[in-house]
Amino acid sequence: MVFTEARRYFVERRVDERMAATNAPSFAGYFALVRGNIDSEVEKLINAFTVNETYFYREDYQLACMSADLLNERLRNKAFGESLRIWSIPCSTGEEPYSIAIWLLENWPQVDEHDVEIVGSDIDTDVLEAARAGVFGKRAMTRLSPELVGKYFGPTGPDQWQILDDLRQSVRFTAANVVERTDTRPHGLFDIIFCRNLLIYFDDKSRRVAAENLYESLAPGGYICLGHSESMSRISPLFEVCRFADAIVYRRPLGVKRD
Amino acid sequence: MPLIRNTAAKSAPDVPSDVLTGLKSASIDERWSAARAAGAPAIPALAEALSHESDARVREAIFTAFARIGTRESALAVMQYLRADDASIRTGALDSLRSMPRAAEASMLMLLSDDDPDVRLLSCELARAMNNSEAARLLCEVLERDSEANVCAAAVDVLAEIADENALPALSRCATRFPNDPFLAFAVKIAVGRLRSVSANPRD
Repeated sequence: MVFTEARRYFVERRVDERMAATNAPSFAGYFALVRGNIDSEVEKLINAFTVNETYFYREDYQLACMSADLLNERLRNKAFGESLRIWSIPCSTGEEPYSIAIWLLENWPQVDEHDVEIVGSDIDTDVLEAARAGVFGKRAMTRLSPELVGKYFGPTGPDQWQILDDLRQSVRFTAANVVERTDTRPHGLFDIIFCRNLLIYFDDKSRRVAAENLYESLAPGGYICLGHSESMSRISPLFEVCRFADAIVYRRPLGVKRD
Repeated sequence: MPLIRNTAAKSAPDVPSDVLTGLKSASIDERWSAARAAGAPAIPALAEALSHESDARVREAIFTAFARIGTRESALAVMQYLRADDASIRTGALDSLRSMPRAAEASMLMLLSDDDPDVRLLSCELARAMNNSEAARLLCEVLERDSEANVCAAAVDVLAEIADENALPALSRCATRFPNDPFLAFAVKIAVGRLRSVSANPRD
């Protein structure tokens, strides 16, 4: 990655965010964290710079949490035959919702017993077109094994692959701004929402509104997964914190509490 | 000659009736939904609803509605809850005001002069979201005149974060105003050290 002088502000913002997330008292202190790669800070710093450049199986501990715990928890609250709904917002060029689909096929033994609807949404209609096309370069595929690439993708050029038609048709892409209630409400209720590395870029007001829109978009008892440096507890008291073996996620409470 | 009426005066926007009835509904979901749909004309109705709302989720939606509207009127409607007995309501009001810094900023002087030291203390926190130089100016005034060491300590804490070196003289004077308060002396020492360090090495 190369950043010219013109992108100094972008770099400063990302470093400031990481310093805040790690409670680093000074740049020198934060730099020591990076040099020592304490708590995988190198990857976290790189992730902070790749806002629109996501990749398959990014932060896959949350995918592991989904297949190990979240889906089974949700099934306990659903009628027999009722489909499971998963929302990836923002979905960028599709790596996240397709990762969810591949992960389920590979890691969730009950995948053939239930209907799972996966929706990917983004405010940027250009990236949605790219997501629908499902063509990816080498960088996006680095965390996928050659076996998975061979199983779910077909080569379309040098260092370029397209996801198989069956998988492309299993994800629905829509335009949506998470801050606009009129955008989020028509999507209905989801069992799991992945909303990673988005809210950190909002101001306090937009974060509150987005959190309430996401709350409304979750079925009671539904889960929301945020990025590794994000905390819903600092944004809104509406959600419960749930600690699972693989990840900490947030949940819309099952019942409404009355004071 | 017929006089043409001021259109702005005659067309003050009405509050949608579903918002008004929703805010008074017995159903929590309907009150939540009405609060989320309410706009600026509904500020009085939101304030009335907040005064007797018993559900924490609906209260949160009302606080967010005020922040979303973000006018001086909405900030004023929220401010009175900084003196609520219920800590969750005080926190909700503070978070709401923090989410509308420009609207809250207009009333900071009033808040920092409130008779209730708890309100003054919480209001120092609002300065974190404000323009740095204006926040530093207001907090320095707190250091110079507030009679409560705890309020000054809250101001010192925020000033340490803002790190405006212009605050150094006020910080030093504040420590001498409360010679028998070792915590405040300690807090001032930490803040002064940080301000000097930032001023000497602006990138560190």
